[in-house]
Amino acid sequence: MIDINAKLKEIGPYIPEEDDDLLVCRCEEVTKGEIRKAIHSGLFTIEELRRFLRCGMGLCQGQTCGLLTRRLIAKELGTSVHEIDVATSRAPMRPVLMDEASRDHKGE
Amino acid sequence: MSMEYKEMVVIGAGPAGLSAAIEAASKGIKVTVYDENARPGGQLFKQIHKFFGSKEHKAKIRGFKIGEELLNEATKLGVDVVLNATVMGLFAQKELTVLINNEVHHVKADAILVATGASENMVNFRGWTLPGVIGAGAAQTMMNLHHIKPGNKILMVGTGNVGLVVSFQLLQAGCEVVALVDAAPAIGGYGVHASKLARTGIPFYLSHTVKVAEGEDHVTGVTIAEVDSHFKFIPGTEKHFDVDTICVAVGLSPMTQLLKMDGVKMEDTRGGYVPACKKDGSTSIPGVFAAGDVAGIEEASSAMIEGRMAGAAICEYLGYEDHEEKESREETLFGSLENLREGMFAPKNRGKKIEKTEEGIDISQNLLRHGFIGDDEVERFPGVISKKGIHPVIECSQNIPCNPCQSACHKGCIAIGDHMTSLPVVDPESECINCGMCVASCPGQAIFLVDEEEDHTLITMPYEFYPLPVVGEKGMALGRDGHEVCEAEITNVRTSKAYDHTALVTMKVPAKYAMTARFYKKGEDVL
Amino acid sequence: MKEAEVIIIGGGIVGCATAYYLAKKGMTDVIVLEGSSSIGHGASSRNGGGVRQSGRDVRELPVAMCAVEKFWPGLSEELGVDTEYTQEGNLRLGKTPAHMKKLEALAESCQSMGLNVYMVDKEKAHEINPYLSDDVMGASFCPTDGHANPLTTTLGYYQKALSLGVQFYTEAKVASLRKVRGQVEDVILDDGTIFKGKKIVLAAGYHSRAIMNTIGLDVPMQDVIDGCIVTEQEPVMFKQMLGCASADFYGHQTRHGSFVFGAEAGGEAYMDIAPETTNFAHPDTLGATCRGVEGYIPKLAGAKIVRSWTGWCDCTADGVCVLGTVEEAPGLILACGFNGHGFGTAPAVAYMMAQIALGEKPLLDLSALAYERFC
Repeated sequence: MIDINAKLKEIGPYIPEEDDDLLVCRCEEVTKGEIRKAIHSGLFTIEELRRFLRCGMGLCQGQTCGLLTRRLIAKELGTSVHEIDVATSRAPMRPVLMDEASRDHKGE
Repeated sequence: MSMEYKEMVVIGAGPAGLSAAIEAASKGIKVTVYDENARPGGQLFKQIHKFFGSKEHKAKIRGFKIGEELLNEATKLGVDVVLNATVMGLFAQKELTVLINNEVHHVKADAILVATGASENMVNFRGWTLPGVIGAGAAQTMMNLHHIKPGNKILMVGTGNVGLVVSFQLLQAGCEVVALVDAAPAIGGYGVHASKLARTGIPFYLSHTVKVAEGEDHVTGVTIAEVDSHFKFIPGTEKHFDVDTICVAVGLSPMTQLLKMDGVKMEDTRGGYVPACKKDGSTSIPGVFAAGDVAGIEEASSAMIEGRMAGAAICEYLGYEDHEEKESREETLFGSLENLREGMFAPKNRGKKIEKTEEGIDISQNLLRHGFIGDDEVERFPGVISKKGIHPVIECSQNIPCNPCQSACHKGCIAIGDHMTSLPVVDPESECINCGMCVASCPGQAIFLVDEEEDHTLITMPYEFYPLPVVGEKGMALGRDGHEVCEAEITNVRTSKAYDHTALVTMKVPAKYAMTARFYKKGEDVL
Repeated sequence: MKEAEVIIIGGGIVGCATAYYLAKKGMTDVIVLEGSSSIGHGASSRNGGGVRQSGRDVRELPVAMCAVEKFWPGLSEELGVDTEYTQEGNLRLGKTPAHMKKLEALAESCQSMGLNVYMVDKEKAHEINPYLSDDVMGASFCPTDGHANPLTTTLGYYQKALSLGVQFYTEAKVASLRKVRGQVEDVILDDGTIFKGKKIVLAAGYHSRAIMNTIGLDVPMQDVIDGCIVTEQEPVMFKQMLGCASADFYGHQTRHGSFVFGAEAGGEAYMDIAPETTNFAHPDTLGATCRGVEGYIPKLAGAKIVRSWTGWCDCTADGVCVLGTVEEAPGLILACGFNGHGFGTAPAVAYMMAQIALGEKPLLDLSALAYERFC
């Protein structure tokens, strides 16, 4: 059980950092500051951050920024990156044209 | 329309996937290998350097040759390698969707091996999204597959083996590598790989990282700075380089998406976020196996053995071998894998600080910090001797699982013994015949032939840059740190099929530089 | 043991919004228990984003109309989060005379409840959406329908409730309820932790069923998975919500530019999957959805799909949700069984759940949606 309110109190408020404008997710152009701010608003999981900010939801599906975002969460929450769950994986593994995906030999 | 049924599907035609396919096909299993690339072999076809290990690990053979061998063997055994085939999804009941020629195929297999390898990690720094900031793997693809120079002046971020090996390949491709930087306080990869770079004059900046990649619409420069033990920049330590490319080699992450979407149990380990596998590659889902980097980042050599082991496990799973046969095969393979996992760079030693070699010798701190063994440190290693006449000098100072030098010498000059990670010992009593096989066999290019005479010394070094020097040419001898130590004249340049594209270049220097001159730079030309 | 005036089981949009409306009304002694590790983990984050009145069952339609009239328009400002609410209509498409008949019947039933929904001919349909394929012969159109972003809306309610002092727990899996002296009062987690509340709101999707079972209640419902796909960002094409008479697909273009579509291949309802699994997808859904979309909007053939996902629908026997108190279980308030279309109604549902928890008379008469209809 995770007590969100207690955890928020423990990590304190969001304090701006000099490099908050750095892009973390380049596909969806989400910055470090946006992610840090969201963490301090009670979004402690990569799933919630993805839903709220779209980080890791673009063309590469978090292949590049997934680990960077997990590290940011771990740092803000004062824990190890191993404690931060990885985002769910979904088909398609690579972006696929709607036209290609519709040419599906089983479904037709 | 219809489902296609296969006996065994391998996803990824890299070293692990092809090895598994060979193992299984040799027992009669019909294997289909899917790979999303236009060429098979995974990373092997980008590896133009000689591999470490022993003979069973295909040591001293260049990676792309190993790839060709694997592919030939697989083809001979009737393995169906389907290229440009992207596996899009892995679903319940071992069903795959595969995109081939703009169409989706649904495939079911009795056994599936996921051998999808890894992808490169990134770091954030100001300007990291500028064109010109690229992964080291991307640089390798450009150079070694497409024959395109990734840039002219390059900074390498990361001193793991990938950063070191790719830096050397960049030099070979004619690029200038201005420096290697690493936020860690010590070089992460093999010292011998670092030394190949250091002796050409490339500086290493440890405890440094990129502060900003400069440029408007592409990289035009970079500023690095030193970091403290909390990885915070230390003001006033900034250094600027004019570069057009920044190569990033900061580790790999297993590409586990297919396993995750299939519901395979995962675990977060030092090797990355990986499927919880048994050593034979079997996962929490019966019939679904994993091998190679996707199951934990290691070397291509380990991936080949892991692939073999998963192949053997699949042979048992599909009823082509009984349990005893599989166990005995696995034991042999696992022994070979364990050999590769020995030494200072073993997975179990990740993150550990090592002070002494297995022999009890203090390791070279200079090597970890600057990429070369200090002139005052080198003589404590057992491969380094000095005597009249010709003899090998082996500047191999770290325990790594590699022993081709031992068998390269038929005169008994070089001994490693049964323990693969032991440092090579040069026997001062043995007679060197100047055959040069040891020099060419060393994947770390750490062996030199030194012929110490009264008034001069002849130094034979491995050389893998074009154009080769020519006999009679004059230039400067460089020390281990890449600085000029004295004038030198080229007296011999040997190439041979047996040397496998490593040229042996001999330079003549004054006698007193026998133990310090280790590289050659043509007069007035910049390398 | 922890106590609160109101305990809400389920950190989805209904749970978070109920907590918010309670806090807004001054009741901040509220605890929300979410079983998974993330807020909005269930259907709240997995639906297609429709904010729709047309096509609804007449028992549910007043709730949807109330949500559209009273709640959605100012919600972004109220929560301080962009809900991306877009009220540009819902176009339900038909390709055959049989389709058109079906659409007419649906429209008529909604018109009888006072909803402005009407039939449009081929020309008008193509005028509303010029990207439709030529074989679309007509549609029903409800101009006040629309869509919103379920992800930001759900988390917006959560953040706002949190900032007003509501207490949230994640990874707090409820195992059972317990009556104390005839009143539903104890909420017991799988690790044995007990929460005591004067009012208990049960809004845990399909999980609600197993939880209510522990005090002898049951609702005839099934858990069915449904899939969606999302494309990469595309130039703006159209702003309506689309659906069709044949259920070939539904979806819209989001504010971000990506298209979100949903459809079924047919096999999804029969998948045998553990309820806690959210990772599974049916291998045929992606292709079926793409064929559905291409059949109506040929221009999207070149759009790239970057992801697909699935979510659970808590489908009741009569197709509408279960709302309100239960005679035989005083203290308990049910809000579940949303059948895969609970997102659009959630703000109004949650507001009324808050009213009920505070003993106020709800905005609407919810008796047609009461638990007792199955008794």
